[in-house]
Amino acid sequence: MNLQRRNNIRVGGSGPATMVFSHGFGCDQNMWRFLVPKYEEDFRTILFDLVGSGASDLTAYDRNRYGSLRGYAEDLLEIIGAFAEGPVILVGHSVSAMIGLLAAVEAPERIGAHVMVGPSPCYINDGDYAGGFSRADIDGLLETLENNYLGWSSNMAPKIMGAPGQANLAEELTNSFCRTDPQIAAHFARVTFLSDNRADVPRLAAPALVLQCSDDVIAPRTVGDYLAKRLPRATLRLIENTGHCPHMSSPAQCIEYIDEFLLTLDVGHDGH
Amino acid sequence: MMATDTPPLPDEGALYDGAACGLLLTDPSGVILKANLTFCRWLGLQRDDVCGTHFEKLLTTGGRIFHQTHFYPLLQLQGSIAEVKLELLSATGERMPVLVNAVRRDGGAEVWHEMAVFMARDRHAYEKELLHARKQAEQLASAKLAAEQAAQDRGYLAEQMIGIVSHDLRNPLFTIMLGAASLQRSNLDDQAKSYLGHITEAAQRAERLVEDLLDFTAARIGHGIAIECKPIDLHAVVAKCVEGLRIRWPGHVLHHLSTGTGTCLGDSRRLFQVIGNLVGNAVAYGDASSPIEVTSCISERECSISVHNQGQPIPPEHLSTLFQAMVRGTDEPTPSRSVGLGLYIVGEIARAHDGTVTVSSSREAGTTFTFAFRGDVESGQQADARAAPAGT
Repeated sequence: MNLQRRNNIRVGGSGPATMVFSHGFGCDQNMWRFLVPKYEEDFRTILFDLVGSGASDLTAYDRNRYGSLRGYAEDLLEIIGAFAEGPVILVGHSVSAMIGLLAAVEAPERIGAHVMVGPSPCYINDGDYAGGFSRADIDGLLETLENNYLGWSSNMAPKIMGAPGQANLAEELTNSFCRTDPQIAAHFARVTFLSDNRADVPRLAAPALVLQCSDDVIAPRTVGDYLAKRLPRATLRLIENTGHCPHMSSPAQCIEYIDEFLLTLDVGHDGH
Repeated sequence: MMATDTPPLPDEGALYDGAACGLLLTDPSGVILKANLTFCRWLGLQRDDVCGTHFEKLLTTGGRIFHQTHFYPLLQLQGSIAEVKLELLSATGERMPVLVNAVRRDGGAEVWHEMAVFMARDRHAYEKELLHARKQAEQLASAKLAAEQAAQDRGYLAEQMIGIVSHDLRNPLFTIMLGAASLQRSNLDDQAKSYLGHITEAAQRAERLVEDLLDFTAARIGHGIAIECKPIDLHAVVAKCVEGLRIRWPGHVLHHLSTGTGTCLGDSRRLFQVIGNLVGNAVAYGDASSPIEVTSCISERECSISVHNQGQPIPPEHLSTLFQAMVRGTDEPTPSRSVGLGLYIVGEIARAHDGTVTVSSSREAGTTFTFAFRGDVESGQQADARAAPAGT
């Protein structure tokens, strides 16, 4: 098995420490494009696609292995083991923040710090815990995925109508971003949105920055507060942003908070 | 000079409001800034209620998650996205399937999204049916696969069982026959002798059946029926076999005819088996008052043994399956046959000899089975010539 090909791993930048970027459900490593160039200046950067997403090797998608987030956590540790030296700084969006949490509980020495973008340890409401969704809501998501099945399967590349003001992307647009096999997407959605990692939250020894959006339907404020309270070494930062992707819609704000967080760490970020 | 009374065509504003699709303009976060009347009418809302609302709030919860995790990132990355299927919730809570196209416009200081929304009720219904049919097909396919696997397992198990059981039956049969042979040498009254005859005959029949079953399993799950070919005098082999069969079926007349000369390669024990099987069939299904003719034939190209009888022809619909296992040429049970293995084994022996077995059957000509094989015939002279040089 070729790890590089399996996870479509891209190594860039240079610096004494390594940052690993892990995308969330529904997209791929392209979502980091507004953030990564900044960090390539001072860090070695590793980008990859979760197996089943983007340009990963879809034949490696084993429903048993990826039937829980642990399979992805094992992948992450394999990638860090093969492509990084020393503990890394992990930037994980959404479900990948929890994948990083599981990996860190498994091998704490591998991940020195966590940047969690819109994390949620559990999406479904449970007693006092307000995850934001009911089980019926998640079933609704699976239905929406199924509804987009035909559009995705006949021609997985979404139709392009032109991207004004982003001419440099024109070439890449002939490929597709966030390409997904609909059946894998449905399975991944199930695994993601039905996961409950609350028991592992207090076990994270490393410092963690939680980037919480002010108005995020997927990870509501209550979830950010929950994590800030239960993660042993958490820093919570609120980003004025509607949506679940502040690294795309408010990259400058994200960079500011991440830089601030990195300065508190004992890593080779010489600061500007 | 244009002088006309036709009403003016709608201006751009009217075109926008009355367009045959919903048209929206949102800020980069998705808050609706402008909406045409078509869109508002579909939702059953006033324009003032629509504007200022986040587009996401008009979606089902599942749609919101999808919008956040896929639609929005793609729009950010590509600058456009098309044909995404979502469901809008109307003022009355009705779900409206729609297709959405969106373009991100970058005006320098301002960034906004333009969206076109198309009703997709019929397409939605059709797709539901497609998905349903696909699921059904998948279920059927997996059920079929499971059934096939189960049948295969059962078949394999049954064949193995036949092999094991028939092999284990040989020992007790051998004991019975050995005991019967010993008893034959002692002083017995006539009634006991008669019983002993029945016992011996029954044991021999059982032994033949066991051998058939072993051959069958060898052919089906082993490497085929094993033969040991040696140079033989075909006519002599057939003559000897027919002689034995005359004793076995004293009520039938058996003729042996022979044509051609030469030595051929064959397994005489297996040829006995072939003739025994074919004559057994002729006895079972043929006209008991007409003679059964066994012909051995040697030519330069091939050797053959054919068995002919008069009587009811084999129904034509049975001819194609005659040489398959467990198939009989007639549906009526007959006392001299038990299971339909005989012709299958004959066919397998033919295959092992690199030969064929064929049948022709009609009311006028009767029924003839022909077992033909290459036999690598050497004519009498050639055989003599080959043997000769050593002496000259």
